[in-house]
Amino acid sequence: MRLFDGQRAWVVQRISALLLLVLIVFGVLALPFAPPLDFAGWRAFAGGVLGGPLIALLFGALCAHAWVGMRDIVLDYIQPRGLRLAVLSLIAVVLLGVLVRVLLSLATVALTA
Amino acid sequence: MKLNIYRYDPETGDPPRMQAYDVQPEAGDKKLLDLLMRLRVQDDSLSFRRSCREGVCGSDAMNINGRNGLACLTALDGLKEPIVLRPLPGFPVIRDLIVDMTQFFAHYHSIQPWLMNDEPLPERERLQSPTERERLNGLYECILCACCSAFCPSYWWNPDKFIGPAGLLQAYRFIADSRDTATAERLDFLDDVYRLYRCRTIMNCTEVCPKGLSPSHAIERIRLALLRRSS
Repeated sequence: MRLFDGQRAWVVQRISALLLLVLIVFGVLALPFAPPLDFAGWRAFAGGVLGGPLIALLFGALCAHAWVGMRDIVLDYIQPRGLRLAVLSLIAVVLLGVLVRVLLSLATVALTA
Repeated sequence: MKLNIYRYDPETGDPPRMQAYDVQPEAGDKKLLDLLMRLRVQDDSLSFRRSCREGVCGSDAMNINGRNGLACLTALDGLKEPIVLRPLPGFPVIRDLIVDMTQFFAHYHSIQPWLMNDEPLPERERLQSPTERERLNGLYECILCACCSAFCPSYWWNPDKFIGPAGLLQAYRFIADSRDTATAERLDFLDDVYRLYRCRTIMNCTEVCPKGLSPSHAIERIRLALLRRSS
């Protein structure tokens, strides 16, 4: 994706919003039927065949959505090119960091389950 | 009726100020423009644009009690006093209620607001079916008064790069026209993070349009046309 692409970023924002909506609603509705949410319960869910990919999808959608949203805010409010690039880089590093951390944790849980 | 009007004359070097007026409407004065014309007799230094006085030319657009509108279409009945008049927000002020529309019309020009058709000229006019003609309803009526663009926060932040609701409505007017064959070229131009995608569907434009048009709907149609083209 080009950094300042028009249409693709718009599509990513909408698809990720839909995914977030479905996953969050699904999660909230499933909560009453879930086993007690202690550490072992969460670990078993994250290491499961369904839980791992769902958590990865949730954080993937969250980071993609946050990137487009934050990028839009930066494009509107930060005009100096240098500062804009620095803030955009910082946002990208933080979001990528979150995503990588989640994926690594999921992989660790899956491998040690 | 009491008015509070934004006054600014760059030639004096004084900062802008609000000036209070009290003027009595006479029989037959129905619209805000009537009152402003009466006020001009009291104070001929007050500057504002006006021409057709019936909502066709779009020259008397201003901010009326915090909301953009045309003075000639705004009824005096029901206007809260003092009536606060300011120039269109976000536009450079030339003097009093007169703003510089240069950039606004540069955006309008950038969307190439004319029919482009490379097919051979017909003997008479290019015909349209009633359905094709109907697609232009809600688009061709725009009078370019700039009430919408001057009420759009996205346009306030990026007036040099975002085309704005008025320009985008006009762009869709030509995309939707069955006689125009440059749709691909027009969409290529609009597919840009600034020109089109600064719109956040805030919908101030639709809310404030004195002609009852919906620029936000036209913008959505452009996005859908781009989506259809790339899918």
